[in-house]
Amino acid sequence: MDELVIKLSDIHKSFQMGSEQLEVLKGISLDVKKGEFLAILGPSGSGKSTLMNVIGCMDHFDSGEYYLSDNAVHKMSDSKLTGLRNSQIGFIFQKYHLIGKYTVLQNVMMPLLIRGYSRKAAAEKAAERLERLGMGQRLDHRPNELSGGQQQRAAIARALVGEPALLLADEPTGALDSATGREVLDLFGKLHENGNTIVMITHDLNVAKHAQRIVRIVDGHLYENEE
Amino acid sequence: MKLFELIRLVFINIMSNKSKGILTSLGIVVGSATIVLVIAVGQGGKLDVADQFKNLNAGAIEVTVGQSADTMMEQAMEMFSGGGGMPSGGGMPDMGGGGGMPSGGGMSGGGMPSGGGGGMPSGGGGGMSGGGGGGSSGAAMFGGNNVTLSTDDVNDILELVPDVESASLLASSEAAVSGGELDDETNYTVAGVQYDYVSISNLEIQYGDFFSEEENEEKSKVCVLGYTAAQEIFGSAYSAVGEVVTIEGKNYDVIGVLASMGTVSSGISPDTALFIPYNTASKYVFDSSVSPQITVVASDVNQVEQVMENIETVLTENHSGAAFTLSDAGSKMEAASSSANTLSMLLIAVAAIVFVVGGIGIMNVLFVTVKERTQEIGILKALGCRKREILLEFLAEANLISVFGGIVGVVAGFALIPVVELTGMRCEPVVMGGVLALVFAVVTGTIFGFYPAYKASRLMPIEALQQD
Repeated sequence: MDELVIKLSDIHKSFQMGSEQLEVLKGISLDVKKGEFLAILGPSGSGKSTLMNVIGCMDHFDSGEYYLSDNAVHKMSDSKLTGLRNSQIGFIFQKYHLIGKYTVLQNVMMPLLIRGYSRKAAAEKAAERLERLGMGQRLDHRPNELSGGQQQRAAIARALVGEPALLLADEPTGALDSATGREVLDLFGKLHENGNTIVMITHDLNVAKHAQRIVRIVDGHLYENEE
Repeated sequence: MKLFELIRLVFINIMSNKSKGILTSLGIVVGSATIVLVIAVGQGGKLDVADQFKNLNAGAIEVTVGQSADTMMEQAMEMFSGGGGMPSGGGMPDMGGGGGMPSGGGMSGGGMPSGGGGGMPSGGGGGMSGGGGGGSSGAAMFGGNNVTLSTDDVNDILELVPDVESASLLASSEAAVSGGELDDETNYTVAGVQYDYVSISNLEIQYGDFFSEEENEEKSKVCVLGYTAAQEIFGSAYSAVGEVVTIEGKNYDVIGVLASMGTVSSGISPDTALFIPYNTASKYVFDSSVSPQITVVASDVNQVEQVMENIETVLTENHSGAAFTLSDAGSKMEAASSSANTLSMLLIAVAAIVFVVGGIGIMNVLFVTVKERTQEIGILKALGCRKREILLEFLAEANLISVFGGIVGVVAGFALIPVVELTGMRCEPVVMGGVLALVFAVVTGTIFGFYPAYKASRLMPIEALQQD
C-alpha cells in the first residue's frame, strides 16, 4: 500500500449560526497518497473552504480522525498544529498573501526563518527556489511591483521552500487571467511530476481537470468523481 | 524563529512606515526629555541650596536676642487656634478689631517678657493681618529691653555648655567707607567678628591673613575685605592687602582678602562685606542699636538640639526675662533641601504622567497596527509562526519605538538644558536622569505594548486571513 499523506475519517464540523447549528462537514473521509495531485471541486457554500481549513490544520473539527503524514492532528494542541503547518504544509492562496513590506526573497525566506534557519541559509535556499521558478530577477522586488502571475509564483516558491509533505492550494488561479492561470496550472503539473503531493481546492471544473484525481464536495459530503 | 531575525523583521516593519514610528514615539520623546530636564532642575535646585548654605557650618547655632518674626507668627497662630477650640463667645473677640484683643500679658503667659506691652498679642492691633510688620516691630521692642549679648555670655556658654566647639560674637552694621579708588564715602556692611568666624562660616582666605584673637582683644584697627568689596575699593583683590581703608573716619590696615563666595541665603554676604575685630567694631563702629549675635558651633552635629537647650538656659539665667532666638544651620539646610526634594518629586510625578500619556499613545497606535496587519498576522500564523513569536514581535515593536523615543528624548532633554537655564533656573545635567528616562521608556513600551501584542497573538489564522 502506498504511503498516505492525508487520512481523513468521518470528519464532522458545524458552526453555530445564531440559534441554529449549521453542519458544514457531514462525515468526510478522504485518503490522499504521497505524490498524488488531487482537486477538491465544489461550488461556494459546499463546505470546501472549511475542508481546506481542516486539511490545512488551521481549524478544529468536532469529530473524526485526521492523520497528516502519520501525525494525529485530532489530538494536537494549537501550538503543535502551528509547528505542523510549518513543517508539513505549503499554502498557496487565491490572493497570494505575500507580505507587502517584505521583498520577494524575504517573503520566501519566512517559513525557513520561522523554522529557525539562519538568515544566510534561508536566503540561499529561498533564492535557489525562486530561480528555479524563473523569479531570479525579482528577488528584491516588493510584491506590489510584480504582476499577479509573478506574485503567485513567489507564493508557490514560499510554499515549496520548506519542502512540505503537502502543497495545499486554495483557488490558485482565482485571481489570474486565463493565460496566466494556465501557466500556474502547468507549473503544478510539473511539481506533481517531480513527486509533490498537491491538494487543490477550486470551484472550476476546467481548473480541476488539471489534477490527476478529482473529488466533489456537495453539501458537506464528499464524492469521488466517476467520469 | 531566532530572536535576532525576529528583531530584524520588527526593524523592517518600523522602517517601512517611518513617519508612523516617529509620531508614535513622540509621547515617549517628550516624556524622556521631561525626565531629563526635571532631574536636571531638581539637581540644580539641590546644588543651589547647598551653595546658599555653603557659609554655614552644619553644627552652627545662631543666637540672637528677641524673637524672630517667624517664631512670633507661630506663637500667634498657636494662640489663635487655641482660641478657636474654646467655646465661642467672649474668648475670641473680632480679630480685625484691634482693641478687642485681651491684653498681652494674659495670653502670652510667663515665658514672654512683659516689657513693651507684652509683645505680639496686643501689638499692632491688626492681629494676624499685620504679621510681617508685627514681627519687626516686635524685634524692635525686644531690642528696647537693652539685653545685649556680650563676651561674658560667650564665655559662659564655652564654660557651662557641653559639646561646644567654639562660640563667638558677631554683629554687623552699615558703615561709611572710603579710601582706595573710592571717590566718595560709600556704605558697606561692616561686620565685627572674632577670629574663628572664618571656620564657622566656611570662609577661605584668598590673600593675606584673618585677624587673630589678640588683635580682637587689643581692638586693633585691622580689616579683612570680602572679594567684591576689595575689587570695588582697590581695583583688584590682590592689590588690596597692605593698603589702608577708612571706616567711619578711622584708618584700618587691610590684612587679608577673602575668596569669592557667591550668593548666600543667610547671614552676612561675605563678598561685599568688610570684616574687623568684634571689639574694635563695638568700640568705633557700632552704636547702641546694633544687636550682636553669638555663633556657637556644636562639636557633634547630633547634639545640636541639646546644645541649643543648654545655651538657652545659660542665657536666660544671665538675662532674666529676655527671650532669645536660636536657630541651627542644620535644620535650615534640611528644610531647604527637603523643599528642593519635594519640588523634584513633584516634577518627577509630572514626568510620569507624561509617560503614561505617551504609553497610551503607543497602545492606541499598536491597536490600530494590529487591525491593519491582521492579514499579515494570519499569513505568519499559517506559515507556522507561534503565538509567542507574534506576541514578541509586537512587543519588540513597541519597545523599539519607545527605546528610539527614549534616546531621542534624552538627547533632546540634555540639549534643552541650556535653554531652560536661560529662564534663570539652575540646571545640573545628571547621567542618572538619562538612564532613568530610558528605563521609563522601555517600561512604558512594554506595559502599554503588551495588550495589543497579546490581542495580535490570539488571532485565529483563518479569521485573520479571511479579512481583507
